[in-house]
Amino acid sequence: MIDSLIISLQLALTTTVLLLLIGLPLAYILAFKSFKGRTVLEIIVALPLVLPPTVLGYYVLLMIAPDSMLGSAWNMLFDSSLAFSFSGMVFASVLYSLPFAVQPMQQAFRAIPKNWLELIKAQSLNIKHRLLKVILPASKGGILVAAALSFAHTIGEFGVVLMVGGSIPGETKVASIALFEMVEMQQQSEAWMLALILLALSFVMLSVVYSINRSALNMGAAK
Amino acid sequence: MTHDLRLTTQLGSLFLDVHAEFANEMIVISGENGAGKSTLLRCIAGLEEVSGQICMHGQQWLDSSAGFVLPTEQRKLGFVWSEAVLLPWLTIEKNIILGVDEESLLWFEQLVEQLEIKHLLKRKPDVLSTGEAQRVSLARAIYRKPSILLLDEPFSAQAPDIRARLRQALQRLQKQLQIPIILVSHDVEDAKVLAQKHWRMREGKLMVSINRHSREDGNPYFESTGE
Repeated sequence: MIDSLIISLQLALTTTVLLLLIGLPLAYILAFKSFKGRTVLEIIVALPLVLPPTVLGYYVLLMIAPDSMLGSAWNMLFDSSLAFSFSGMVFASVLYSLPFAVQPMQQAFRAIPKNWLELIKAQSLNIKHRLLKVILPASKGGILVAAALSFAHTIGEFGVVLMVGGSIPGETKVASIALFEMVEMQQQSEAWMLALILLALSFVMLSVVYSINRSALNMGAAK
Repeated sequence: MTHDLRLTTQLGSLFLDVHAEFANEMIVISGENGAGKSTLLRCIAGLEEVSGQICMHGQQWLDSSAGFVLPTEQRKLGFVWSEAVLLPWLTIEKNIILGVDEESLLWFEQLVEQLEIKHLLKRKPDVLSTGEAQRVSLARAIYRKPSILLLDEPFSAQAPDIRARLRQALQRLQKQLQIPIILVSHDVEDAKVLAQKHWRMREGKLMVSINRHSREDGNPYFESTGE
């Protein structure tokens, strides 16, 4: 049980960090730039919200299979298989939780007051100052919500990680899969304990999200 | 050095029609609410899409017939909004030096002294009065040594005694920087004391442009160059 919890936490943490790194520029582009194909990009980002996890898992499996371009490149670089590995699960989780990271940040960027955006132009801020002095501090709430949701959503994954990672004990067996197997094997007390831990973890993460949202609302009201 | 402004454009319900030439001088714009004063400042800054031509310091900023618009970021201007726009997570000092890479301590000291904000530097914007925040906005716009200063009611929240001192400070800074300063104001005293040129606007149109010169006897007289 502890092993699967640790793997879940490692997976959630790695996915969250990667999602912030990938999601930030993506959200910035979607919020501020107009270009051909923007709607298509927005749909692709939002797809995991409606796609059955098994469908996403199936496509990810095809993408990272040893004979695929990505799978063979990974094999050449790291001498290991991407399918049924922790790295493969990270790849799938990043795709699966992408909208949970991008959308809150995109909304936060769009909510930045117009005169702060005009200030960026009037003061000729370069991209570094633009981000560090204005955009990121102004969207701090949205970025924290994105991190919390990405983390919580990854902890709660089941279908995708089962398909992509298999359920290799100590390697790719995450807490949600361990719980499923405990129930199957009638290990009621262990299942009860693990479910309670996952419930508490989700509750804490959502509390963080709601308190950030509330303080953002209060700030908005105070403006 | 003269600068040229020819703007003709429909912006919402306002039809902006402004043709003017000006030098590195202090210009005060007055007019009723909704006359287009603030909109004109925003158009010069490039914060509104507008048709026409703007030529500043011999450089084309806008030539809509050729489809050319110099982005606001490249105009190196100083802009002060009617309500102070400060970043609440930065100290006043950081707000003032925002976006300036080559900091000049001497110039900074001189500026904060003249605008009477030296005692505020370590504070955050949320503890400032409206008047103080306005002066900080003004300092930020001037500190970067802009090519033009566009001020939308910069003294509206100042107490009368500070307002008089600020006018003097602005005159000194204009002489020092040798740039055009265009200031929107409802206060007739601003026009009287500051304006080397006084523009009056009505319904988006620049109605009158008045040059003020000093006669040998010291009395100012006004010369209409507009319609």
